[in-house]
Amino acid sequence: MIEIKDLEVSLSGKKILHDISLTISEGKWSCLVGPNGAGKTTLLKVLLGTASYSGSVKSHGSEVYRDQRRNVAFVPQQPQIPQGITVAEYVMLGRAKKDGWGNESAKSRSLIGEILTQTNLYGLHKEYVSHLSGGEMQRTLIARALAQEPELILLDEPTSALDLHHQIDVLNNLQILQKSGVTIISTMHDLTLAAMYAERIIVMQSGRVLAEGDSTEIIHSSELRTAFDDRINVFTLDSGRPVIVAKKDER
Amino acid sequence: MTNRVREESGISPMWNWKITSLFAALLLVIGLAAISFGPINLSFTKILRTLFGMHGGLSGQDRTVLIDLRLPRAILAALVGAALSTSGAVYQSVFRNPLADPYLLGAASGAGLGATIAITNSHGNVYSLLPIFSFIGGTLAVLTSFFISGKFFAEPQSLLLSGIAVGSFATAIQTYLQQRHSSSLRPVYSWILGELTAANWQIVTWSSFYILMAIAILISISKRLDGLMLSDEESFSLGINPNRLRIIAVAAATLATATAVSASGLIGFVGIVVPHLVRGVTHRVTNRNLLTIALAGAAFLVLADLGARTLLSPAELPIGVITAFVGAPFFLVVLRRRRMGSL
Repeated sequence: MIEIKDLEVSLSGKKILHDISLTISEGKWSCLVGPNGAGKTTLLKVLLGTASYSGSVKSHGSEVYRDQRRNVAFVPQQPQIPQGITVAEYVMLGRAKKDGWGNESAKSRSLIGEILTQTNLYGLHKEYVSHLSGGEMQRTLIARALAQEPELILLDEPTSALDLHHQIDVLNNLQILQKSGVTIISTMHDLTLAAMYAERIIVMQSGRVLAEGDSTEIIHSSELRTAFDDRINVFTLDSGRPVIVAKKDER
Repeated sequence: MTNRVREESGISPMWNWKITSLFAALLLVIGLAAISFGPINLSFTKILRTLFGMHGGLSGQDRTVLIDLRLPRAILAALVGAALSTSGAVYQSVFRNPLADPYLLGAASGAGLGATIAITNSHGNVYSLLPIFSFIGGTLAVLTSFFISGKFFAEPQSLLLSGIAVGSFATAIQTYLQQRHSSSLRPVYSWILGELTAANWQIVTWSSFYILMAIAILISISKRLDGLMLSDEESFSLGINPNRLRIIAVAAATLATATAVSASGLIGFVGIVVPHLVRGVTHRVTNRNLLTIALAGAAFLVLADLGARTLLSPAELPIGVITAFVGAPFFLVVLRRRRMGSL
């Protein structure tokens, strides 16, 4: 369980996050939604432990800032892509914390093999990561996160670079992970997908949390509309599944 | 692990002992050739007998040439080569720039200014002051770059830019001083081109202390340096403290570079050519092969110095001319292969 209390974050004098108090339950998939500039990525960095903050953010009772004892995987929206390193080696970096840097264990090697198969990267594993397409890179990042066997996985827009087919691929992989007890926190622009996969939704706007709760409830809430300036329509399909689309501007 | 398995898994072995030993052997062979060839050729067997204290070694003038001239010079060349190539490799990882070289942060220009001050202000006994002044100059320039950039933690590239600014500033003062003391033109010029002529056991002793210490530090953190290929958030999540790692890496690499520069002047291109050469052989960009890079750098510079001494014998070429002659075309090949735009 992660407990956030009176969280504030400022960057060079400008407040990015205001007065956030929130509890994130363990083993669940929570999704941060909201327009650009809402502070979603900053909140992810706070949860990772790399952004300094005031207030308190506690995981298992201890502050998360700079705490590297936790095993947290981070999938950035725009990764730094290294030259001259293969997909398999890149995924193997996920084992570095467990095995020690540059000391790959035999167990890690067989695990990497499984993960490469699971993420459909087998066949690409000898390819240099700098030669991958956007979608392949995204799957490689997810594979590295899986290799970490994390307790918490943070993803910044994991599906934004992917076509529909690969979006579902990635999200299904994450769902398998979540069912095995890993806590997932992701940002997502696609609200329909967020509603489909996440169990909890946290609505953010201008550095504040407007609402937080079960995705089925939040998706129909007025706060979600407010966050997007009332420019979204929520439809419900016959199956009961919600679909969220942008409103056509009538002006 | 055999090559076949490695290729199937897509993961290179951690350490390629064969290539490392190959470069170690190469260093020994080139080193032996370097202390043997010259205006007076010494025989291999006699050299070995002398070095191992066996009966039938060299004596008289030949012994002096070996022990007091060629041996310290070859060892210094090896130390400087190892220092420049490892620092180059490390700077390339820290700044995520394949063309980064050890002189990038102003170390060269700062040391050049220090050396010029020593040469223009001393009367006669230049060589005792020169190393100290150039060491101080080089280190001060790098520290200044650090303080000016300020944003090193957020953006390593800003340190690179302030290094360039500090370097130009130091060069401007150095040129001014040089113009004011025209008698210093020649010694300053030959120092800038790099020279190992002043090598003696005293220089070898103190420079080996700093250089070996710096290289040991760099090799001990070399595996973690791979983490700097990623963004800071990613490397943090993989157990690395990127800021601390960068500071240790830059400090150790600067210590090695400043020592090398103060012992031998500015020897260009070693820091770029050697790391890329070793990476070309091992097909690896990572720093797991830092020891190999150090050995290759040592061998390269001993060979270059052998060329500098013997090609136009009895005249001597500045060693910087030899390394640049090989290095500049190589540099262009690297540039071309990287196609500039993708840097």
